[in-house]
Amino acid sequence: MSDRVQRLAQLQDLELMIREVEDPASKMKEEALGFSVEGLAQLQNARSRLLKQIPKQDLRAYQRIRRKYDRAVVPVMNRICLGCFQALPTSVTRNVSEAGPLPICENCGRILYWL
Amino acid sequence: MTAERLLSYFGESRFVPELRSRSKDGVLGEMARVLADEGEIGDPALLLEMIRRRESLGSTGLGKGVAVPHGRSTAATDTRIVFALSKKGVDFGALDNEPCRLFFLIVAPYEDRKHEYLPLLGKIVEVVSDEAVRERLLQVDSFGAFTQTIREAFGE
Ligand SMILES: [Zn+2]
Repeated sequence: MSDRVQRLAQLQDLELMIREVEDPASKMKEEALGFSVEGLAQLQNARSRLLKQIPKQDLRAYQRIRRKYDRAVVPVMNRICLGCFQALPTSVTRNVSEAGPLPICENCGRILYWL
Repeated sequence: MTAERLLSYFGESRFVPELRSRSKDGVLGEMARVLADEGEIGDPALLLEMIRRRESLGSTGLGKGVAVPHGRSTAATDTRIVFALSKKGVDFGALDNEPCRLFFLIVAPYEDRKHEYLPLLGKIVEVVSDEAVRERLLQVDSFGAFTQTIREAFGE
């Protein structure tokens, strides 16, 4: 797993959790089951800290894709992109160098996260 | 939701008859590793981070010895439940400060097309709200005994 993709996946999970905590309907459903859901501020702090660890160009790519899709980072299973369910060409690999391009699905443009 | 439907999220390889860990963080790690070991999760570290973060919003120890850690992760492709027991009990920071003995880890993918995540969470909470069911679950020593107990809880 590339650290660069891993951090973007972390950011995505964190932003999803923030969205759920911010959504009164989803928060109420969990609370009705007996769970406590507090601490939006600490999630936002964690997000700020994480943002500082992500290279600027990776963050820009992530945010650009997030404007188009709900998920910017999607898992790859059996060489299928689980964002658009198309097979990936063999030229796409899980190996990501520190400075090279992020692994992107040619078909939908999402960032690929190898399981 | 039928018993069969609920049981479809569990599995023999996701049944832990006795947890080794004695701490909350250890239990979360041990249960996340179960999913990683069966190839359900690519990266247990990513999953674990999400579960720990969810716990920071409030313990999922619901009281009466039951904990239901849960969350959605980019590392998950399908909704899965790990069921684990700790006969000695683990301090999970539960609302009633009682040690937890019954653990259900629910992990769902980021995109929940079938909208199964919250109803599933609700069903688990409902099943374990019955004291007799909790007592029987504490005694199960095999996955078969577990599924039998769940079916009985549904009156089947
Ligand atoms: Zn794609």
